[in-house]
Amino acid sequence: MNRPTSELDAVTLDAITLEVIWNRMIASVDEAAKAIVRTSFSTLSNEANDFACVLTDADGQLLAQNSGSIPSFIGTLPATVRHVLAKFGQDGLHPGDVICTNDPWLGTGHLNDCSIVRPIFRDGGLLAFAATASHMPDIGGRIRSVEAREIFEEGFHIPLMKIFRAGVVDETFFELLRTQVRTPDQTEGDIHAQITANFLIEDRVLAMLIEYGLDDLADLSRELNSRTEGAMRAAIAKVPDGIYDFEMRTDGLTAEAPFTFVLKLTVAGESIHFDFAGTSPVQPRAINCPFCYTYAMSAYAIKCALLPGIPNNSGMLRPITVAAPENSLLNPLPPAAVGARASTGHYVPILAFGALAKVMPDRVMAAAGSPLWNCTQSGVRANGQSYASNLFFNGGMGATARGDGESAISWPSNLSCTPVEVAEQSAPLLFHYKRLRPNSGGPGQFRGGLGEEMLIESLSDSPITVSFMAERTRFGAPGLAGGGDGQVGSVRIDGMEADNRAQHHLAKGTQILIATPGGGGYGRQKDRDNEHVSRDKRLGYVEEDQQ
Amino acid sequence: MTRYALGIDIGGTFTDVVLFDREQGRRLTRKTLTTPGDPAIAVLQAVDQVLGADCISPHEIERVVHATTLFTNALIERKGAKTALLTTEGFRDTLEIGRERKYDLYDLAAKKPRPLAPRDLRFEVGERILADGGVRRALETDELDGIADQLQQAGVASLAIVFLHSYRNPDHERLAGARINERLPNLAVSLSSDVAPEIREFERASTTVANAYIKPLARDYLDALSTRLGAREITAPLLLMLSSGGLTHVGEVRRSPVQMLESGPAAGALAAADIGRAEGLEHILAFDMGGTTAKLCLIDGNEPEIAYRFEAAREKRFAEGSGLPIRISTVELIEIGAGGGSIARLDGLGLLKAGPDSAGAIPGPVAYGRGGRQPTVTDADFALGYLGAEGFAGGAIEVDLAGSQAALDELATEAGLSPEKLAWGVHDLVNENMASAARVHIAEKGRDPRNYTLVATGGAGPVHAYGMARKLGIRRIVCPRNAGVASALGLLLAPARVDRTAAFAAPLNDMDWPRLEGAFRELELEAAQVIADTGKAAGRVQRLADMRNIGQGYELVVNLPDGPYGAESAARLQDAYALAYENHFTRPPPNVPVAIATIRVRLTAPAEATADDATTPDKRTSARTGSRDVYFAEADGMLDTVVLNRAAMTAADSHAGPAVVEEAESTMVIGPGGRFHISASGNLIIELPEDGA
Repeated sequence: MNRPTSELDAVTLDAITLEVIWNRMIASVDEAAKAIVRTSFSTLSNEANDFACVLTDADGQLLAQNSGSIPSFIGTLPATVRHVLAKFGQDGLHPGDVICTNDPWLGTGHLNDCSIVRPIFRDGGLLAFAATASHMPDIGGRIRSVEAREIFEEGFHIPLMKIFRAGVVDETFFELLRTQVRTPDQTEGDIHAQITANFLIEDRVLAMLIEYGLDDLADLSRELNSRTEGAMRAAIAKVPDGIYDFEMRTDGLTAEAPFTFVLKLTVAGESIHFDFAGTSPVQPRAINCPFCYTYAMSAYAIKCALLPGIPNNSGMLRPITVAAPENSLLNPLPPAAVGARASTGHYVPILAFGALAKVMPDRVMAAAGSPLWNCTQSGVRANGQSYASNLFFNGGMGATARGDGESAISWPSNLSCTPVEVAEQSAPLLFHYKRLRPNSGGPGQFRGGLGEEMLIESLSDSPITVSFMAERTRFGAPGLAGGGDGQVGSVRIDGMEADNRAQHHLAKGTQILIATPGGGGYGRQKDRDNEHVSRDKRLGYVEEDQQ
Repeated sequence: MTRYALGIDIGGTFTDVVLFDREQGRRLTRKTLTTPGDPAIAVLQAVDQVLGADCISPHEIERVVHATTLFTNALIERKGAKTALLTTEGFRDTLEIGRERKYDLYDLAAKKPRPLAPRDLRFEVGERILADGGVRRALETDELDGIADQLQQAGVASLAIVFLHSYRNPDHERLAGARINERLPNLAVSLSSDVAPEIREFERASTTVANAYIKPLARDYLDALSTRLGAREITAPLLLMLSSGGLTHVGEVRRSPVQMLESGPAAGALAAADIGRAEGLEHILAFDMGGTTAKLCLIDGNEPEIAYRFEAAREKRFAEGSGLPIRISTVELIEIGAGGGSIARLDGLGLLKAGPDSAGAIPGPVAYGRGGRQPTVTDADFALGYLGAEGFAGGAIEVDLAGSQAALDELATEAGLSPEKLAWGVHDLVNENMASAARVHIAEKGRDPRNYTLVATGGAGPVHAYGMARKLGIRRIVCPRNAGVASALGLLLAPARVDRTAAFAAPLNDMDWPRLEGAFRELELEAAQVIADTGKAAGRVQRLADMRNIGQGYELVVNLPDGPYGAESAARLQDAYALAYENHFTRPPPNVPVAIATIRVRLTAPAEATADDATTPDKRTSARTGSRDVYFAEADGMLDTVVLNRAAMTAADSHAGPAVVEEAESTMVIGPGGRFHISASGNLIIELPEDGA
């Protein structure tokens, strides 16, 4: 295909070639994603979907992300690419280089994910970057637990560094890595799986340029990103200018000291600014959320609210700026512990929705029963082998102006739960039930989604160690536009409320009850359609005495 | 004398019937509109017509093979039976909770697929089996009578029973099913340990409930069809094609109709495999494009690959993860929302889109003049000259070219493009959507599209094959005769095959070998009985197993060496696993013990030898019927292009593109520089130029 020569041709190239090439770039990163699923060892990647693949231009501007990706990673990966550019400069990057980091502040917010970046060259010129992030099977340190007080306890820390220089592998790096982790083969294997994916993106992008007779991605990136930027600016312009505040209290480390999250959202013309001043300070536990993750969650919220239907790229982010005070929960500095950063970072989209709800309640959602819940058990089997089992659980979605919230679904992450049969097969556990929690959804014209509850018994002859990620056990998910709050979640051990921030050592026969929070309701309960009221009763989502 | 085979393929819009003469290779074909209220009506009409046309006696038919999308459509349209679910106490919500993952990252109101059994029809009973198959709590049989009464009161027609770990120990499910059937003998009962005996309770429940949901419908329809064929004195056995491409008898589908969901696409893939065989091609990409969807299937060595999971009735069309997971054996193919009816429009960014929304048969493309207002891919194909209005669809449809062009012009103005550029944009975009999906799929398999030959079938397949091939770097296209009814033909040419599955969880290094051998023998016996019922001699037995390194989340289906097995087989099974792993993941498996999760048996009867009438072209007429203006991107405009009549082409001649080759059911478009001829087997072979991309 020839380069555009007339104005009409230029338009043709825009409307059709752009769409075709955009699809092709998305197909390239989707293909890379399948390669990761295929070749990785970590079940967090291949069962729970805890990874992402992206393509950026030579300046680190996002061009395409894989379709099933995790919102946090697609926000952080382009930033990681820009850190690579800042550190090495264009002149410091060469064909065959591969750069790796798990630095929480430069990468994805905790050590458990490795971000891998590969510069793509054509005829000696820097053209683009392929970048992937994936959760490692193990990264050393203590097993992921909220109890860590400093990052040094959390595992092997990889600075932003080249692990291949002009195609030559850094053997020292891999030797060091292997000594620091519990699963050397799997962790090294997963890094190689990511590198394979990065190579694949490079191969497909170069083939695409040849097919379409393009010299580089610069014009294309400028055009695509300016289109999405324009669309985002137009969407923001429709939001009335103003300063919108939202404040929310959440579970602290103790009942006496809840955390406070404060957002001042400024909408001015075609741009939006987040300011988290007033949010609680950094904590001596692994629940601090590095700024890169805070930013990713802020941008994700705006895209959901204003422009959900269009593929993501960096243009979308340009009108969005974020500030969070240093050494707050949402911008901790080293050596803060950050392993469970989702436990605070997942509140960010809710804050954004709370603020936007003041002017456009119909475009956002009442608070969800998030952040993500997790229960990690480790112990020794009867045959002497040690085991660890990592189970994810989810609360209900918030209701929207369009309908009730979905029950028990991952948001704002996108991880799968582990089937009960697989959990019982891989660890000495017995589930007595896993069921929806009636009445847990906040009431309203549209009801919040229900949480779920699981009663899990240890069948292990020797004691097991259990830790949790659990939120909204003291403050339910707030409703919106007159809707009620979702019910709080709880962790009980043998019927007694348990400290979900601490590790527990449990004897055989101990029963753990995990009940996730419901989502908030939307609109006033008295406006609820009678048909929905009777359906909820008939199906038992709301029990008789709660009407 | 029995020499005829009858193939019946019921789709959403058309019912295709093919009568194949095994001795002379003749094919009598008939396309008629599907009669959704009573699908057997259309079948009988078409059968009467093909028999009547040649005065063939029904007794001369030796077998009848049938595929249909009726059951899939019942799932999509939610028109199945009132269905209830009985689970282990504490787990009736498994079906509704699912895997807790979103299929759309940004849509806050995206809905999980609605369960086919609503919560008030999901019952629990006291019982518990453990992961090792041991009984923790015996079945509380007394509770079942009360549940049966409730089922009756609620007017439930079909019941699914799904207990935890029943893939390891089916006793409780069987006991419960028998007890409830004692009380309610007319209730259709589906046990998860029969329908999908595999670990992962949500996917097993989803499959079993889907089976229950279509079971009464399948039973009634199949009984009606058998009865009426019998009344026509067609006494040959009625065989059904399963999603795996395997054949079975009516009895099995009555019991487990969920296995038939993908039977139509499976027949299409088998047809392509057969064409590949006839042309001596090792690697083909089967490309079937109809009105709403396109299907692509990679076939190596003449056998389509089998997958063990797919999704039915997607909530958000074609979005992965938005459908009901179904765990059955199915021909591995991908389905894309791209067809002749795909609607073209501009999106919020002013970018051109084509599909996945389809105008379907009603209202259809604007050109069909049945009330369609939005321009579709078919409209673009008319505007580009790929399709000709004269004699379109064998003259069945009067084409409204003016209306079609007006609709395209309107969109072109909106887009600021010339009408020609817009039409090409729609055609090219739909090709790119299909090619993109194909690239990911082919890459997932670790293959290179340039090593493949494209086999184009379906109404729209031959129209789009040339553009698809160029995008994928494919150099050769094969377009068979009767491309529009290729699936119905595939039914007749498929070797009979039967698949059987059972859960069998055990590590290789601690295997009870006699028990494993016994379990395989049991499956082989079951499979042999089905084959015997279909009137075939038993053929080759292939043993398979789902295996993994202990601790991995997913199993790999492994072809195993032949039995019988004993302790000395451990190394051979281990080697088979290592080979399959390396083929699939391009690296050897980790040095961790290996376990089996599921065992499978595949029994294949030998393919029958059949004659082929090849081509007996009508020598009296010239192949060339005229010429028209046709758009080609290579020329950046319209070219005066020759139009050929497929039926009059002879095997000897070689032709050069640009050209359009027409037959009643489809039109093959060949670009400038392409060369084409009719092969000895009667297929149209197109070679693309070297610089085609």
